[in-house]
Order: sequence, then C-alpha cells, then structure tokens
Amino acid sequence: MTGAHQAIGKSIERVGAREKVTGRARYSADIELGAPLVLKALRSGRPHAEILAINTEKALRIKGVAAVFTAMDIPGKNLTGIILKDQPILMGDKVRSIADPVALVAAETETTAEQALKAIEVDYRDLPPVFDPEKAMAEDAPKVHAKGNVMVSRTIRRGDVGSAFTRCKSIIEKTYRTTFIEHNTIEPDAGAGFVDSDGTLVIYASTQNPHYDHKDVVTLLGLADEKVRIIQAATGGGFGSKLDLNVQGFIGLALYHLRRPVRYVYTREEAYLGTAKRHPLSMRMKTGADENGRLLAMQATIICDTGAYASYGPAVANRAPVHATGPYAIENVDIRSYGVYTNNPFCGAMRGFGTPQIAFAHESQIDLHALDLGLDPLAMRMLNAHRVGSTTATGQVFSASVGIGDCLRAIQPHYDEARKGWTAAPAAPYKKRGVGIGAMWYGIGNTGVQNPSTARVEMDRDGSVTLFTGCADIGQGSSTVLSQIAAEILGLAPQAVRLVTADTKFTTNAGATSASRQTYISGNAVKQAAEQLADVLKTEAMNKLRVAKSALMFDGGCALVIGQPDQCVSFAELAKRIKSKGASLSWQGYFDPETVPLDPQTGQGVPYATYAFAAQLALVTVDVLTGEVAVERVVAAHDVGKAIHPESVIGQICGGVAMGLGFALMEEFEPGKTLSMKDYHIPTCADMPEVVPIIVESPEPSGPFGAKGVGEPALIPTAPAILNAIADALGVRLYALPANLERVLAASIAAGHFKPAP
Amino acid sequence: MDASSVRIRFTLNGQPRSAEFPADTTALKLIRDVLKLKGTKEGCGIGECGACTVIVDGKAVNSCLMLAAQLDGRTVQTIEGLGSPEALHPLQEAFVKEHAVQCGFCTPGLLMSTKALLDINPAPTRAEISKAIAGNLCRCTGYRHIFASIEDAAHTRKEQT
Repeated sequence: MTGAHQAIGKSIERVGAREKVTGRARYSADIELGAPLVLKALRSGRPHAEILAINTEKALRIKGVAAVFTAMDIPGKNLTGIILKDQPILMGDKVRSIADPVALVAAETETTAEQALKAIEVDYRDLPPVFDPEKAMAEDAPKVHAKGNVMVSRTIRRGDVGSAFTRCKSIIEKTYRTTFIEHNTIEPDAGAGFVDSDGTLVIYASTQNPHYDHKDVVTLLGLADEKVRIIQAATGGGFGSKLDLNVQGFIGLALYHLRRPVRYVYTREEAYLGTAKRHPLSMRMKTGADENGRLLAMQATIICDTGAYASYGPAVANRAPVHATGPYAIENVDIRSYGVYTNNPFCGAMRGFGTPQIAFAHESQIDLHALDLGLDPLAMRMLNAHRVGSTTATGQVFSASVGIGDCLRAIQPHYDEARKGWTAAPAAPYKKRGVGIGAMWYGIGNTGVQNPSTARVEMDRDGSVTLFTGCADIGQGSSTVLSQIAAEILGLAPQAVRLVTADTKFTTNAGATSASRQTYISGNAVKQAAEQLADVLKTEAMNKLRVAKSALMFDGGCALVIGQPDQCVSFAELAKRIKSKGASLSWQGYFDPETVPLDPQTGQGVPYATYAFAAQLALVTVDVLTGEVAVERVVAAHDVGKAIHPESVIGQICGGVAMGLGFALMEEFEPGKTLSMKDYHIPTCADMPEVVPIIVESPEPSGPFGAKGVGEPALIPTAPAILNAIADALGVRLYALPANLERVLAASIAAGHFKPAP
Repeated sequence: MDASSVRIRFTLNGQPRSAEFPADTTALKLIRDVLKLKGTKEGCGIGECGACTVIVDGKAVNSCLMLAAQLDGRTVQTIEGLGSPEALHPLQEAFVKEHAVQCGFCTPGLLMSTKALLDINPAPTRAEISKAIAGNLCRCTGYRHIFASIEDAAHTRKEQT
C-alpha cells in the first residue's frame, strides 16, 4: 500500500521547521507593531465574592496609563465559552475564582501597567466558597452560578448490571482520584493586535482555534464578522489550553476603544493563574468478571471538577463516561458522570478530555481482576478487547479499524521478555522492579455532536496550487500532513503546495485543533477539495489527450497518460484552458464524521465515527526506601489507522509518553500554591525512559488514506502502565495521582518493604 | 526603578556592538527588546525552562537570570548567529532532518545549549548530552528526536531500536 503513495507515509521535512530552528518563526510575543500599548488584567485574588464597586480613578491619573476597562466597557455580550457561554472576560457582578479578571489596564510600559493594577480599588463582599465538587453538589452548597452547581450530567446505561454482578466471580470496587494539571506549554499565552486601514481589528494570537476566537470576539464587541480578523501566530504548544479565549478578548476590547496597537504577553505566573487546568476527577468504579476473566459489568460514578467556568468541561464530563469501559466489550454498564462548578480555577480541555483520568481507573481495575482471578493481565486484556463486530457501552457496533488486539499483540514479546528476564533478574538492594500495561481507546472528534471541517484547494493560472485551511498547527504538524494529503491527490511534491493557514480572513473554519481530529476530519476536507480540483483537471486533460479519465495520472505538475509519460499536459496549460471556459479552479472540501447524538436518558448512540487504540508497557524500578520511581522503558503501540508522516506520529507518541510520565509521577497543580515553574515540575530529558514506539496501522475506511489520529492517544496509556508497574513492584496499589515520592514511600512502608538491613 | 543608564560594549554573533539601557535590564530584555533579536524566547523568567538560553564566552546561560550589564566585554551568541533558513548550521540541519522540532518554542534554547556542548566536546556520550540539555524543557517531543539530532550532528548516533 505504502509503495503506491508518493507523499503519504513519508516523513518529509516539517512545514516551518527551518524558520523555527533559525529563530525566525514569529510567535505572538515576537510580533512588532510599533509602540504598542501593554495590556494587563487585574485578577480578583479571592475565590468567591460580590463586586460592590470598582474605582479606577487613581489608576487613570498615572502618567502613561491610556485606559482602564471594566465590564461596563464591553459593547457586546460579555459571556464567552465554546460550549456554554458562562464566562465573562471581565467580571461585572461577582468573582468565582482567584483568577477572575475584574479590570483591564492599557499602558505605555509593563511597569506603568503594573502600577495601575495596584491603584485600582475594588470593593468586594466575600461569599462562602466551595472547593470540593462533592460538597458543591449538595442542595445547600454556595451557588457558583445562579443555575446551580451541576453543570452537566451524563448517564450511560446498557444491559442489566444488577443481575450481571450476580454472575461474577470477581468483583472489584475502588475510588480513584486525580489532581489539577497545568498544560505548561513552553510558550506562555500571548497576542497582539492593531486596527487595519479599513477599520478591521486584526488580532494575532497563540491559539488552537482562530475561528472560535473570531466568533466570540465579534459577539463580545458587537461587531460585524468582517470587522475582526484573527491570525494564528506561530504557536508554542497548546495541549488544550489555547482553545479558550485567553488574551484575544482583551486585545479586541482595547483595540475597539483605543484604535492603536496593543499587546498582551502573559508572564508564566499569569499563564498558570489565568488559563484552564486539567479536570481533577474522582471515579468510583465497580466492575465484575467471570471465572475466565471476561468482564460482565461496570457501575461507575464520575465527578469532574470544572472549577468556576465550563470551558470544555461538558466535553470532559461526556467523554469520560463514554470511555469508562476502556477498549473492552462490557455488556452491562451503568455509568453516571457529573461536571460540577466550584470556586477552583476553571478547568478545560487538556490532551484527552478526561480519558487519561478514566484510563487510570479502568486499567487499575483490570489488573486487580487479573490478580484476583490468577490470570495474566495481558491475556485478560486480549480476552476482553474490542474487535470488529463487538458492541460498545453506547451501543455502537464496530465495523472496521479496531486495532487494540494488534496493539496488545505488538507489546506481547516485550512483555514476555520483561517478565522472564528483567523482573526476574536481581535488582539492587532496596530496589524493586515492576512491569505494567496500560491500554486505551479514544474516539476521534467531538462526542456525538457535529464538528465539521472545511478547506479550499486552489490552482493559479500558472498551475501552482494553494491549500487554504483554518486548521491551527500548534506544533503537532497538521500543516505538513494536510499538504501531504493535497499533494498526494494532485501528484505534487508536498513542498510545492503553498499554504495559507489559520487566518479568518482567508480561510474557512476547520474547527478546533483538539480531540485528535485534524488529520481525520480536516484531512478528509482537504482530500475532498483536492479531489474535486483533480477531477476538473482530468476532465480538461481528457479533452486535450483524448483518453479516458481512468487512463490519466498526475506527476510533477502534469497530467499524463499512464504508461505513456510523453503524452502529457502541464497544470499551467490545463489551468488556462479551464479558466477560459469559465470553470472554477478553486474547490471547497467539507467533512463531518458520521455520528448519532447520545440519548439523554441512556447515553446510547454513536459518539464517534472512528476510534484510535493503543497499548503501552512500562518497566519501572522503585526505590523502596525513598519512594523514587525510575521508568526504565516504555513500549508504546498505537493504532493510528495510517501514519501519514511516520516520524510525526513517533514524535507524538514520545511526547505523549513524556506528558503521561509527568501525570503519573510528578505533576500536581495546587490552586493558590502553584505560582511559577519553581512549583511545578514537568519531565526533563533526564526523566525519560527509553521509548520504543510501534506504529500499528488498522486502516479506517472513512479516514484519509485510512488515517485516524494520535495526538491525545499518545498520552493516555502511559500513567496507567506506570501505575500498574509500581503496583507490580511493590505489591500494593496507589489510587491517587500523582505517584509522587510521598505516596510511593507510604505504599512501600505499608507493604513492609521499608525495613532495616538484616 | 529609576535605574541609572549603563553602556556596554560586547561581541554579538561575531559583530562588535554597543548598547545603552537601564541598569536593571536583563540580558534577555536587552536581546529581545533593545536589540530586537526575537529568536531567544522567554518561557518562565526565572531560569527554570531554558527557552532563553544563549552562549556567553562559550557557556550556555539562561539570559533571563543575567543582567545585561554583565555582558560588557564578553562574546555572546544567539540563535540568529547560528545559521539562516537558506544556510543552516549543521546542528540546525540535524534538528530539521530528525524532526526534533514540534512547536519550536524551546528549539533556539536547546540549539544554544547543544552548540555550547559540541564546541567543547564534539563527540559527547548520551549522558553528557542529557546533562547539557536537562535545563531545556520541551513539552512536545519527549526528547527522543532531540537526542537523535544531537547525536546525528555529533556523528555519534547509534541505530535506534
């Protein structure tokens, strides 16, 4: 198959790599707009309070302060949010978290802006806060939003769990907990803007979704669509954090009133304080298996703390229960999930939308069953793994591209070797070795809702091709992959495809760079657009060369007769002929995955058109005296459908393992305490294990060239694999993340490993 | 505040330069805001992430932790002095070829740390590479392709398993 492609499956030079290695790529903070005003927001510093008055007079008297804005200055609708509009950009009546902005300063310099922030006087009346989502669900809890604290709930019910549990030999019921996690993109959020000569507000931003930004900024300012233009600057990572309106609304507001260039570059401290976190989840999970290890039933209650605002919280509260079974067929399920408001920092999208958290629970459960029943954990996963024809908890029947079995088989030899050789070999004194498996499934795209992408492929009169896509490449490589797809269809070198990306003036909506959806969904939109252009070109070439369309192919900017390369016509000539006939050289592609919305009562439906699958194996050494965990090796097998750019897939896998390792062992964001990068540790190169990436290709019939996605799947199995390996090493299990020194040492002591030398 | 002005002379990317700035200016601010060289990045401002790494007298340093005044009389290299898109330095070539760049925000700092290493140790072991770049955080790559690039540039690369 690979041999048949000229651009697909090739690890070509990544788009933008040269600019990035030479420091020429322009990130938002690098954009020079000629003496811009500096913006800074005053944040509340208190978790829950009514705003009685805001006095900006003193601040305005400071020399160099151009303006101080409050909620009163917002001309349109002061409510933002991609799913639920519940987040003002400046708070008018009350604050719901310590990060809530109440005023925005525009000043000549950073120093002046900071002085102005100190001079703003806000009168608050404190309200009782609530930080624990379980307490927030109580009737008499302080209300974070007037409509109540349960933001969304989701039930997924199928079969009869009650009677199924009576048939189980092994029943395990446990509660798992995870913490707030910070995305910690290396680039802190930033943006800049100016007013164009025609009055358009032009905003450059570090963003994952320029078209969403555009929609919320025009609504916020009450402007016509064409009066705001969002351009994605080079973006230094996202992982979900740059899906929210972080600086874009502030920049728009200042441009609207001041009509002069402004910039807002978050310090790391402000990025920590003011942007979304990964939702902490508490997951009570009861599962049952028969004597052979077949899982028969699952009952689960999931509580997602979304903090002060919804952001992508509804997506998390929906995705976690849909994925609660893991990649296993369980006939009887009763799963309830709640997304709950608290006065914590708002939580939003972060790589996996609740799936990394729920995978910790389902992968711990399956290991506990294996131990209980005396079965091999890998064999038990094989037995239960989804396959073509099996049915999910939402009643979806798989018809193709179910690579979980292949992923498990791919790690099997490494697992066997580790069990035989590595764990059996003597470790140093006070060190224990363990082996663990983590498996996952991940639905590509949004959960049971439309999330189409569009793209345009255009040919100039000279025969050159430009791809217009709204898709934001945040470092994962979508621009490269989409140019490969267009190039494959048109027989061009990918480098020959000009790219116009993520600029709302020139591109149509590709949807968010989230949910691992761009390769599959935007890839299909690009493919469709390119195919339409290809058809027009072949039609014209047929006129010229007098052969059937099926006898034609493209190569190097020409259409030629297969087997007779001298019978050819250049794209430039075809373009001229097509143009002279009044036909179009500009074609739009559109793709929306086929889903069925989930039933509100039972959660039955088809949430995703396709799923990625993965299995990872972790080998760890635990120091029983210090609690230190060294991850020695991770074998990561990922079913991506088709790797369009294999090295980028490997890059995603290795980056995902790193983020998963941080999630497993060290990362914990404590609101009010985690202030800077001194307080939050992400993996360095010295923390990384040897990673053995294995690409599994179980082609997806509806995917572009069979492709699915890998961005989030890369991270999901890592923490479960590491936690299972720690449990294997110590003989006791941790039920809360991260498995930091304190927790692992406590487990070591509880297991009796911590004792003086004999 | 009210910092008196300082004037320094130094060598920047092979060229003699002079600059004048308030005494509390950091080396990073001098490079980015006064000299307008935007390739050096600010990721944290407190020396934790390494995105602002430049080479001063042959040593990789966090420019956010250094005062600009300390550069007086010294030789400074930033990413702009390494190579251009048309004529990449071999190290940059290796980062492109081995796909070590994803979002790219950590890349200039990583390249400078690596350059400082290879200038004094042209054939480093993996442990030596790890020590040299452990202060440069990358959130995207998991470091695999970065190690491969550095080993490729140093001709010490072994075949990956």
